[in-house]
Amino acid sequence: MQSAPRNPTRVDKLRHYLISQEGVLFFIMLVSVLLLATRTDKFLTVDNLLQQGRFMTEVGLIAIPMTYIIITGGIDLSVGSIMGLAAIVLGWSWQTLGFPLELAIITGVLSGTLAGFVNGLFIVRVGVPPLIMTLATLALFRGLAEGISQARSARGYPEWFYQLGQGELLGIPTQLWLLIVTVAVFGIVLARTQLGRALYAIGNNETGARFSGLTVNRYLLLIYTFSGFMAGVAGYIFVSRVSTTRSDMGAGIELDVIAAVVLGGTSIFGGTGSILGTTIGVVLIQLLKNGLTLSGLTSDATIVVIGSVLIFAILVNNFILSRRGNS
Amino acid sequence: MKKGFALAVILALLVMVGLPLSADGHERWDGADDLAVNPLACGMGDAMMEDDSDAMMDGDAGEDMGMVEYDGGQPAMMDMDMAGMDITLVDVPKLVGIGYFAATTLGQKQAAEELGNVNVTTDAPTEANIDDQIQVIDTYITQGVDGILFAANDPVAIAPVLRKALEAGIHVVGYDANSEPDAREWFVNQAEFNGIAKALVDSLADQMGADAAFGIVTSTFTTPNQARWIAEMWAYASECYPDLTWLETLEAQEDAVLSFQQAQTLINKYGEDMDGIFAMTSVATPNSADAVQQAGLCGDIAVVGLATPNGMKPYVNDGCVRDVVLWNPVDLGYAAVYVTRAVVDGELMPGDSSVMAGRLGELMVVNGSEVLLGPPFVFNADNINDFDF
Repeated sequence: MQSAPRNPTRVDKLRHYLISQEGVLFFIMLVSVLLLATRTDKFLTVDNLLQQGRFMTEVGLIAIPMTYIIITGGIDLSVGSIMGLAAIVLGWSWQTLGFPLELAIITGVLSGTLAGFVNGLFIVRVGVPPLIMTLATLALFRGLAEGISQARSARGYPEWFYQLGQGELLGIPTQLWLLIVTVAVFGIVLARTQLGRALYAIGNNETGARFSGLTVNRYLLLIYTFSGFMAGVAGYIFVSRVSTTRSDMGAGIELDVIAAVVLGGTSIFGGTGSILGTTIGVVLIQLLKNGLTLSGLTSDATIVVIGSVLIFAILVNNFILSRRGNS
Repeated sequence: MKKGFALAVILALLVMVGLPLSADGHERWDGADDLAVNPLACGMGDAMMEDDSDAMMDGDAGEDMGMVEYDGGQPAMMDMDMAGMDITLVDVPKLVGIGYFAATTLGQKQAAEELGNVNVTTDAPTEANIDDQIQVIDTYITQGVDGILFAANDPVAIAPVLRKALEAGIHVVGYDANSEPDAREWFVNQAEFNGIAKALVDSLADQMGADAAFGIVTSTFTTPNQARWIAEMWAYASECYPDLTWLETLEAQEDAVLSFQQAQTLINKYGEDMDGIFAMTSVATPNSADAVQQAGLCGDIAVVGLATPNGMKPYVNDGCVRDVVLWNPVDLGYAAVYVTRAVVDGELMPGDSSVMAGRLGELMVVNGSEVLLGPPFVFNADNINDFDF
């Protein structure tokens, strides 16, 4: 992996992109879309695609920090629980504590951020492996959400609250704008800034990164907190989309997110990956889910196909990586 | 001696006259809520008869509560009248892969087969996840079906996508778990609180006599459904079985171990004086039965409760429990398809008071826009092995 140089010439660059993981994945996505479009004329319509954009926003937002985390060789399994916690805190602080709704939104997102910070703190300071720590908080945050909510939901928000989750801006679902901007910003941050380079360095060799003077702990704390923040934002969007809070919101979303990130070419062992790949991964899974159901497959058959595509894409990726490693 | 006897008779008479009075004036029994009650007419065994909906109606919504105005939604006008034409329905239960919804699906297939002009497929997430359920429904709206049947994972969260279906001219009928009323046209209600209450009390009185003494194991005093059932049981028993002795209500959350212990507490505390236990949750019922069985009191203490058949088969099959009260999910799915067909055909319109549903006969409209499946279903040794959920 490390031996693959960033090529100087244009032809090499083009070649690099074409056989890059993102390039291959994009090709798989194009083929899938074309295949699905031939099976049903309901699939490739603007309305349907925009609607899918609406559905994938939460997963997409959480997948960004997840990419960062997996690049460093870590993982965050607690994102779904944090999303549920943030949603419950939002509804509870508004309905039970009587906060103004604006403040309740901020409180909800902050509670998610704090939850991510707790993850980061224990991982960095106590040295708990991320897998164990976030597995523990997966249960802990969900329990908190259930305890706070007392199995009751908060409903009946004012109309403006639904704008983000159900509204449109210039014909495009509001939350999709947010996703596009966030993806662009954090894609650039990862690819072009010192922070991004530091994350790759940590993932490739954490000890080495420490010895070369990187403040590894600070970076890790930052990205786990960022992950909590994004899960909190996703929780807010989710409540706005479905117009109620439930303590089981976001349950299992961590697996969708991790699947999309890994499908997008991020190595689970750290060191490689990109936001572009993750984005394609998120979009591909959502389009497959939707397109397969539209063309007559039931939901249980659909997840079998998605699982197969995941394995196929990873096999192709590994093949490319090994070839690149040899050349 | 004679004087004493006469005095005793007078006292006994006074008590007998006084009891119903005091029962009326008494606050509700522990574990009941204080909402309005609507007890059904007295009579035994109704619960087991499927074609007995007339008797049900005597004391039900039709009279006491007056007609509640239709509060469901309506689909956008469609270009063509689908009456009598082939229709495609999609059924989106809370999840697939569990016995309960396999049973509702079976009922739907039976109805579709009988009708001949309905095509129904079931598709839902493999976990009871509201977000996945919304996406499945949304996809079918895009695909274009004539009707959507649903059992909501969340009544509020599912409402926007159902309204979207209505706007697209798709008929929407719920069953098992409702949504906000205006997001669907009709909801097939599997059982009303007063119906369940009547079935429970009738069963106990039938097994142990109208003067039986019993305790109750519930979840908590404030759990909505259980509190509603106990309130209705109290109202129904006060009217129909005034001689029943209410001993005590104990809370057991929905915890298996605690349910067992609470049933044991009742057995130890009241011993021979207790003839029955009402178990108000699907956890309390098998565990109360277990406690009675372990105490060797099968036959002396009747356990009557709400539970799903699978958990109760051991106790019903060996005779320790006679009746398990619930509803028949096969009939529930069956009715949902018939209701949808009737809506499409214009045979069930807002304001109607009943609808014909094949082998189930005439089903009543209650609460504005709900179709009542009928009296609860009683599982016993004759039929419990036919069910798998």
